[in-house]
Amino acid sequence: MRNDRAGPETGVSPGSGFRTPHSALRISALSHSYPDGRAALTDLSFALADGECVGLVGPNGAGKTTLFLRLCGVLPGKVGQASVAGLDPADPGQRRKLPATVGVVFQNPDDQLFGPTVGEDVAFGPLNLGLSADESKARVADALKAVGLSDAGERVPFKLSGGEKRRAALAGVLAMRPAVLLLDEPTMFLDPRGRRELIAVVRDLPGTKLIATHDLDLVLDLCPRVLVLDAGELAADGPTADTLADAARMDGHGLEVPYRLRGAGKV
Amino acid sequence: MTLALRHRPVPPSPVARWDARWKLAAALALAAGAAAVTRPGPSAAAFAAGLLLVAASRLPWAAVRARLGALLFTTVPFFLVLPFTLADPAGHATALGFDLGPLRASERGVLVAAGLAFRCLAVGCLAAVLVGTAPVHHTLAAARRLGLPGVLVQLALLAYRYAFLLADEFRRLRIALRVRGFRPRTDAHTYRTVGHATGALLVRGADQADRVAEAMRCRGFDGTFHTLTAFRTTPADVGAFLLCVAGTIALVAWDRS
Repeated sequence: MRNDRAGPETGVSPGSGFRTPHSALRISALSHSYPDGRAALTDLSFALADGECVGLVGPNGAGKTTLFLRLCGVLPGKVGQASVAGLDPADPGQRRKLPATVGVVFQNPDDQLFGPTVGEDVAFGPLNLGLSADESKARVADALKAVGLSDAGERVPFKLSGGEKRRAALAGVLAMRPAVLLLDEPTMFLDPRGRRELIAVVRDLPGTKLIATHDLDLVLDLCPRVLVLDAGELAADGPTADTLADAARMDGHGLEVPYRLRGAGKV
Repeated sequence: MTLALRHRPVPPSPVARWDARWKLAAALALAAGAAAVTRPGPSAAAFAAGLLLVAASRLPWAAVRARLGALLFTTVPFFLVLPFTLADPAGHATALGFDLGPLRASERGVLVAAGLAFRCLAVGCLAAVLVGTAPVHHTLAAARRLGLPGVLVQLALLAYRYAFLLADEFRRLRIALRVRGFRPRTDAHTYRTVGHATGALLVRGADQADRVAEAMRCRGFDGTFHTLTAFRTTPADVGAFLLCVAGTIALVAWDRS
């Protein structure tokens, strides 16, 4: 599996990670190991341009969530370089500024909705940024409106439906107005309607987006470019339709060609 | 085993409209007063004051009764022990003392146990009023404004929020056990299974705590408690607080007289 990283014909163009001098997110030779010594990420390099929406796919345990935690500064690490909107997550001084710059929406919204009401939860980030109560309330209203939950401010998070929880978690991140948005499995456990609603919301969001997901149809719908991560290594980086239609590569990395692309590519 | 956690709507009432800071301060004063009295009369009066507040709060009686019943149950050991361990003063005529076989129950013991029960119920009423007349986060935000450390407030809020999740998890575990034929009995297998289920719950809780901490740090949390909850004091809030404080002072003075 690992051999296909090297050649452009397999999807990863050396240096393709640095396509723009104004990358919103740039990582170079980034590696990370768990405390038990297992490699979670190995020599990752890629970049996202300002405003780009990129899918990140790979089997379970590929390192997608670990990558997100490294990028937002939660997981400390020194091996390799990363820059998120010009900030280095490995630098303690710059790490403190990351919450205002990079927003992470986690897999399980219950991990993220810790406020007593939706409004209080969405205000959590802006208040931590030092904004006044009035400014925070304005941001809460904007963020809830952006995700279609304008009337949910006084509701209790645990009483929301799965789709509403996702959108409320997203609102909590949007209220901080991050330049880079990292979405971890945004459609997991959602019913078709909740999934559709969330995709519509994400599509309209401004800023740079990196979406880690097993939902390949979502990647096809939202992301012109996709990264394939397997066992912590970048296995492919290219246009979404071409990359996901390559049956041999997809199969080799524990993935499947999306139904819509079957017959369209090298199946 | 049941673990019922339900959010109850706050019934509209004068107590619900009371500024949470003044209400909390008044309840703390009343609770301190109730705990400080020792004689049965003032203890019963403290309980009566608690019941008055419950009535003014328009809380559902069934729910309050259930909570007070549970509290009363915790005082049963005092009724079982104190009458037989506290003796009446020599030569004191007792109306409430009685004989139980070879044992003599003292009036003093009965009164002390009754006083304890009244005080316990009085504090229970105040707690029911605090919990039932404002959302928990309002009351905790008020506690922060009154000087409770922000970290404690944050911990209490998180514990409250995630108690519901853990309760859901517990329900799922119970269902998983039942569909695999588990029926609780008084045997080693049951104790072992309950131990495993409790362990699984704790491990999942710990995992979730880690993830929540990560999510909080990602949103800039540095240990400082912030809230959007705003408070506004009216003369009526202060008046009600002063009334409660005066009542507390009168209660303690009566007890000491």
